[in-house]
Amino acid sequence: MTEPAKTSTGVGRRAFMGAALGAGIGAGVASAALAAGLGTDAAMAATDGEATPSASSTAPHSSFPFHGRHQQGILTPAQRASAFVALDVTAADRTELADLLRTITDRARFVTTGGTPPDPGLAAPPRDSGILGASIVPDGLTVTVSAGASLFDERFGLASVKPARLRTMEDFANDALRRETCDGDLLLQICANDRDSVTHALREITRATRGGMQVRWRQDGFASPPRPSGTPRNLMGFKDGTSNPDVTDAATMAALVWAKNTAPEPGWVAGGSYHVVRLIRMLVEFWDRVNLHEQENMIGRRRDSGAPLTASHEFDDPHYELDPTGDVIQMDAHIRLANPRTSATADQRMLRRAYNYDSGLDSNGNLDMGLIFTAFNSDLERQFATVQRRLADEPLTDYVSPFGGGYYFALPGARDKTDWLGRTMLA
Amino acid sequence: MTRRSGFAVFFAAIGALVVVGIVLTILARPAAVSGAGAAASDAVSSYSVTAGTDACGSGWGGAARQVPGGEQSFTVTNGTVAGIEVYLQAVSTKKVYLDLESIGAGAHAAARIALGSGRYRFVCLPADADPVTGPTVAVGAAPAGTQLTPGIVPVTRNDLIPVAKAYGNWLASRIPVLQQQIARLDDDTAEGDPAGAKRDWLTAHLTYETMGAAYGAFGDLDATIDGSPASGRTALNDPDLTGFHRVEALLWSGAPADAVRAAVAPLAQAVGQLATVFSDAEIDPLDIGLRAHEIVENAIQFEMTGERDAGSGTTLATVDANLSGAAQALQPLTGILRSRYDDLDATTAALASSARLIESFRSADGTWTPLSALTRTERERIDASLDATVELLAPVAAICDIRREA
Repeated sequence: MTEPAKTSTGVGRRAFMGAALGAGIGAGVASAALAAGLGTDAAMAATDGEATPSASSTAPHSSFPFHGRHQQGILTPAQRASAFVALDVTAADRTELADLLRTITDRARFVTTGGTPPDPGLAAPPRDSGILGASIVPDGLTVTVSAGASLFDERFGLASVKPARLRTMEDFANDALRRETCDGDLLLQICANDRDSVTHALREITRATRGGMQVRWRQDGFASPPRPSGTPRNLMGFKDGTSNPDVTDAATMAALVWAKNTAPEPGWVAGGSYHVVRLIRMLVEFWDRVNLHEQENMIGRRRDSGAPLTASHEFDDPHYELDPTGDVIQMDAHIRLANPRTSATADQRMLRRAYNYDSGLDSNGNLDMGLIFTAFNSDLERQFATVQRRLADEPLTDYVSPFGGGYYFALPGARDKTDWLGRTMLA
Repeated sequence: MTRRSGFAVFFAAIGALVVVGIVLTILARPAAVSGAGAAASDAVSSYSVTAGTDACGSGWGGAARQVPGGEQSFTVTNGTVAGIEVYLQAVSTKKVYLDLESIGAGAHAAARIALGSGRYRFVCLPADADPVTGPTVAVGAAPAGTQLTPGIVPVTRNDLIPVAKAYGNWLASRIPVLQQQIARLDDDTAEGDPAGAKRDWLTAHLTYETMGAAYGAFGDLDATIDGSPASGRTALNDPDLTGFHRVEALLWSGAPADAVRAAVAPLAQAVGQLATVFSDAEIDPLDIGLRAHEIVENAIQFEMTGERDAGSGTTLATVDANLSGAAQALQPLTGILRSRYDDLDATTAALASSARLIESFRSADGTWTPLSALTRTERERIDASLDATVELLAPVAAICDIRREA
């Protein structure tokens, strides 16, 4: 395996953010870009495109450095294509689990870095599926490896080092969880600019780990381009992710995204993050039969602009203090319940990184589509779980049905080419 | 046009193509390097090599007959008027590191391998002529950390003939056993002992399933002996289905003895035919490596999906027999594989451990856990074990692909 010529160590993302921010400032929309939280590259493309007709500088990022304190795919702007793949570990013991994680790391490092797979000679089938051609280009690929609660059961002797908040995802008030599409020992979140790169990465990783793990469930997603600008829309037609925290603000990320290695957490979690995935079916036929006014009241935003009903532009503050009784944005509107914007709820915010999915049909002929809600949290309980409980019975629940996903812990990053994901967990 | 002038025109064209090829290679390289982001690319040495009967391998090594070790990128051009195959061979060991098969007249084929220190040469193998060896080239040491391309001595038809014979003899020895077991199935059915008949059916079916009928090895007879129902039909309601699964469907649905016997008859007849056909037939040496790999592929594709089960719930028994059949096909290849396949022991161990795992789902009374009764964890363990096994078996077919001696 070859190392890339231009792999920088850890500065790539920062350099990229600097560049994105620079473009934003140059275009005079810095505040908008910041408020959008740079949740997706598409969002940035939009912000840039909005102000500068020539959007050629906003081409998707070509690669992200694999090594670092944190894994990629967390603060990384959401690439256009994704696969969420939960796996059960079939490795027999702790040693085999370590081998499995080393192999996953090795393959993830290669597919995200790119290069030419070695020739196997006459003695074996090709080393690579070939679907990206003879040489692999990174194509903005990120592979994020997370551990589910079940990995910390008795099999591998990991019970004592389980992240303190990690547990099997509970059924929330309006859930219809099907356990066959929930949970799993590991989660691979694979994202890239193009669909074929995601598929390639999945095939290379599963091929190298056949005996050690089996796919439990998977859901493929896509991030929409800005329509016509701002944050990408979900399949209800609304912009989704507008109020994300600013990923360029290290202090905010430390407070909201990265797990703390202080009691009750085990030390190894530093650099990791609680990774929540929720597969949420949207009952789009029903939703499309709902008046726009009613839709907007349920969400709390204008569908077209994404602006809070109390304001005019997508990134405007809703100023709930000026609407204390919910005359404009009703008290149970989705955005108001999810983020009341009070000092008491400030530390409940999380970093969302959602994808849409579109997967065929239900048995009644309705389209099966919805959202792969994804969020990264410093403290699962303080953030996601608290917010989700507050959303119980919100009016929107009539039009959505969460059916899968789980709680995972995104492992700390691999520091260098000798390191592997999960090393400190198994130390 | 005379033959000679034709050649001249042809070689002029080749020359032009080679020049174009070199230019394109040079032009393409910087882009390829930055696009792939591969640091080692700058260590790749590129060569345009001509394969022919007069000169084989010209373009590699130069007058000094030496090149740096490590990554070598070749564009091999067939300079003859017919198809050609090209090896890159270590002179002393005859191990082959590169095999470019079926290069058409005038066509290029590209390859990239990594060579360590040693003496190598190209060997050109025209379709209808003896191999031509090229000049020996001294290759220097590869840069540290280079993942060298493994070489093997090609497996020839002659190597595989005794293997195929040994395997064929074993297969032939199983046919009378199978015939006796089917006769017993008929007897117990006639005597009104459906429980006994079910046991007999399983015994006979498992014997057949060890025989490696994957990929139509027994031709149309396999469809008669062990076929699947037509699309949209089940083994019970497909009037054209014969063989084990027809009998299975009848036995496990409680059909009357006469109906079962009527289905056993064509099965017995087909196996009788197999005995006749097989006694003077040989296993194709090309098939032997393929079987060792593909028996387990078939088990995963057709058995582990449950689609072949016609009511007995004995899929895992079938898979166990398939694993045994794969081990039978692999065993006579051991001598050939020992020096060519580093993971041979891991492969036999994987077959054995998969079989042990599968057999843990056979209860003391000989009945098997149906697929539908497996827990998710059990199912994942079985899938993982079979998947790991079949990955290890895949190189067996690649290595045992018949190649010419050179």
